[in-house]
Amino acid sequence: MNGPAQASAPRRRILVLDDEPIVCKRLKPAFQKAGYEVETFTDSVQAMARVEQEHFDAVITDLKMEGVDGMHFLARVKEVSPSTGVVVITGFATLETAKESFRKGAFDFVAKPFKLSDILETVRRVLGEESHG
Amino acid sequence: MHLPAGLKDALAFWRPRKPPVPFAVQFKKFQIILERNNRILELMADMGDKLGGEYVFDRQYILTVCERLGDLVFKLISDLSVLTQRKNVELFLAFERIQHQIQEELAGRHSFPNLSLTLPMEELNRDASEEAGNKLANLGDIKNVLGLAVPDGFVITTKAFFDFLEHNGLPRLVEEGLDRWDGKDEQGLEDLSRDIRQRILQGEVPRPVLAQISAKLDALGARHDLRQALFAVRSSAWGEDTEFSFAGQYESVLGVPARRIAEAYKRVLASAYSPEAWRYRLHRGYLENEMAMAVGCQLLVDAEASGGLYTYVPLSLEREAIVINAAWGLGAPVVDGTAETDTYVLERAAPHAVRSLDTARKETSLLAAPGGGTELVPVEESRRNVPCLSPQRMEQLAQAAMTIERYYKRPQDLEWSFDRRGELYLLQARPLNIRPNEPEMCPLPGEAAREAEVIFSGRGTVAQQGVAVGKVFVVRDDEDLRNFPYGAILVTRHTSPRFSRVMRKAQGILTDVGSVTGHMATLAREYRVPTVVNTGVATALLADGEEITLDATQNTVFRGAIRELCRFELSAAEVFEESGEYRLLRRLLKRIAPLNLVDPHSENFKPGSCRTFHDITRWIHERAVEVLIGLSESHWRGVQATPRRLATGLPLGLMVIDVEGGLAAPQGAAEVQPAEVRSVPLSALLRGMDESGMWATEPVSVDLGSFMSSVTRTFSASGAAPQKMGRNLAVVSREYMNLHLRLGYHFTIVDAYICNRIDDNYIYFRFLGGVTDFIRRSRRARCIAEILERLDFRVEVHGDLVVARIKKLSLPRMREKMLVLGGLISYTRQLDVRLQNDEDLARHAEEFLQRIAPLLEVVT
Repeated sequence: MNGPAQASAPRRRILVLDDEPIVCKRLKPAFQKAGYEVETFTDSVQAMARVEQEHFDAVITDLKMEGVDGMHFLARVKEVSPSTGVVVITGFATLETAKESFRKGAFDFVAKPFKLSDILETVRRVLGEESHG
Repeated sequence: MHLPAGLKDALAFWRPRKPPVPFAVQFKKFQIILERNNRILELMADMGDKLGGEYVFDRQYILTVCERLGDLVFKLISDLSVLTQRKNVELFLAFERIQHQIQEELAGRHSFPNLSLTLPMEELNRDASEEAGNKLANLGDIKNVLGLAVPDGFVITTKAFFDFLEHNGLPRLVEEGLDRWDGKDEQGLEDLSRDIRQRILQGEVPRPVLAQISAKLDALGARHDLRQALFAVRSSAWGEDTEFSFAGQYESVLGVPARRIAEAYKRVLASAYSPEAWRYRLHRGYLENEMAMAVGCQLLVDAEASGGLYTYVPLSLEREAIVINAAWGLGAPVVDGTAETDTYVLERAAPHAVRSLDTARKETSLLAAPGGGTELVPVEESRRNVPCLSPQRMEQLAQAAMTIERYYKRPQDLEWSFDRRGELYLLQARPLNIRPNEPEMCPLPGEAAREAEVIFSGRGTVAQQGVAVGKVFVVRDDEDLRNFPYGAILVTRHTSPRFSRVMRKAQGILTDVGSVTGHMATLAREYRVPTVVNTGVATALLADGEEITLDATQNTVFRGAIRELCRFELSAAEVFEESGEYRLLRRLLKRIAPLNLVDPHSENFKPGSCRTFHDITRWIHERAVEVLIGLSESHWRGVQATPRRLATGLPLGLMVIDVEGGLAAPQGAAEVQPAEVRSVPLSALLRGMDESGMWATEPVSVDLGSFMSSVTRTFSASGAAPQKMGRNLAVVSREYMNLHLRLGYHFTIVDAYICNRIDDNYIYFRFLGGVTDFIRRSRRARCIAEILERLDFRVEVHGDLVVARIKKLSLPRMREKMLVLGGLISYTRQLDVRLQNDEDLARHAEEFLQRIAPLLEVVT
């Protein structure tokens, strides 16, 4: 058994929010390939509306985005859906932001640039899945 | 005037008379320069790695890394100013120039780096698409990167197009015409189109453009007989042959004699303003200033058979295939759909077995007419019902096509010709969109990948992303390399630049050992071959001939062929290598990473010639070393640690300066015995030189003789003043060594720190060769690189400069590496003389590794 879920189980759902489209464009196929259902957003208002509408098993969010505070988004997600595992990705990784992310309920904190395999591994851990290999 | 003391001190560096700065202070500055230099090189390597596709990076990363790099280079120049007590105005100017170009790129204004009106085929690649248009830029990649044949010729650039329009007053007319047009009236657009086209056809080609065309024709004339030659003059507009194919929108003129190229050029330009092409652009939201037409002028292939090819045709849900259409003569009727054509269906997987063969009755063929133009000629009866391609040619064509598909990661729509001598030419390559309209129609590979057995995953480092399906071919030696089959996945123990030979044939590469900054990884990125290095287990877990799927994006190897993964990649919304961020980083790296200042003896080795950040750092390093050696020679009386001559049997002429605890010899002694060397790195290096026995067994050649004479000179002068000694110097402490060694023609630098704290340990090795012909020099560089890569160094090769680094190994392992370097310095000092061919290269690397093996302390 190598996949992220049992063949019969429904696909796990992931939401990605990053205001740089390139991040969404690269994460979407990578997670799809690994058998997840993925929705990506570059706009946090739309992403928030979606989170309030639908349950996601994991959320990956950038921290510093034009006009929005990723920290606020993180807090809202945990409020609406405490069971959702949130992974924070950021290009401005400092100890302070990492600490605050964890305080606000983030499952993990990943500095950009990151490896595709690392983010996949992190999400597998969020979802409590066995890892490959 | 009263100045604060600190400022006074700072200004003191620029006083004309040199103040007596203690040697220790100067040496400290020198070390800072080395350190910064290494950080700059590491940052550049890091940026290069990001092109491999394993990392997700964004624009913010690009901005940040450029800022850090600019900052480091600026500080490096400042460091040198302090060391040399000069202002280095030229260096700062070079820095400003490069920095400005980087800022322009970041601001999205990429100034045309090349303002040529024409460009030869051999200079074209995807980076030239602005000037050459996409069609010819693609052909440039196919020829210059993939090594497939395309017809010889040149391109008249978009710069020439803009000059032509301007020269004939057309931009204003187009603009006014479009302003007047209401956007709906078809007749209005057609009238405007007719007017513009007429003006183009009657327009004058600017004189400089004509001059450039004849210059390119002269250059071609040196390679081909142009008296009878005919050209294909073809459109290559911005955006043509990309996702918007513009297929058939623009004109191509076939069979043009050299003297009529200008006329044909105007016809192609005019076709940009045909009502159909114009509507196509308007419909897709192209702005008028996004229209630019480069024009390719290529020799018309004397075609025996031509046609089209799709690399990916879904015959049914499970079955996918290559489809070839072919006819006798030139390909235009096949592409237009006006001729009866053969249809061959081939397997996508190597060896591309023919699945079906449908031979049409071909009555006519299009051929070049002797005086120019083309004509339809009846096909002789005996050939009408015969397939145009033999099975061998079908396979050859299919291989070429799949090589192109793998490179672009998109199914391809190709045009091709076989000439009368049987040579295959690629005439055009454009992506074929196979993304289904309904996303649900495309089964996600997650399901298939889930069923498949994972052989290993997450091992090693991705050097180039992508998906490969193929049979494992384990390469152990050169014999295996020679037999490497097309379409296989190369599995091997070490990375090696030797594999460039099979790079075009390999679907993917897996190695047990190796680094992503090595020469091979760079090549894998250049050819876009999915590659994972340093897996540790590839040769142990994978057997020859077994079929596997390598997903080098997620770094997983599956048993069996998972075609869904391939299809998923081929239909992805965006190819990473085509993304804006990838292209920006690549363009920026061109201002940063290439090394133009290769030879310190050349006239161009000066600050004013620095064109990249790498050039600047290289020049500074060279200069800093010179200054340090000069200082130790001229100021040594003021230095407490006196240089002492190393009394060794080896012809080294080495002076050693002990900064702290590096030598056990009594103060004041003029000589030091090798046994008195306490410096860990130097002592290991000397052991390697001595015990490897590589000096002694040298067969004496003419070059060696002249080398020995230079050594003898050094020795006879050993009793004389130190400034007359050779320029060989080691500065050492107990843990540290900084060695500058000129031996014969070679110049080696080793900078190392070895102690009990693993994290502090590093070795930096730099080798630059001297006077031989360039091919031998670069062979020698590759030989050294090969050896060092096998010994787990991180190696970079720039021409004949080799830089190798290793760090964070235990003390015994580091000592062992120094020992190897000692042997290597001895072994390679005359190596280029003996490297007659590429086979020698591998043999010498092997020989060295065998001879050094008994000396190694740690069993690997």
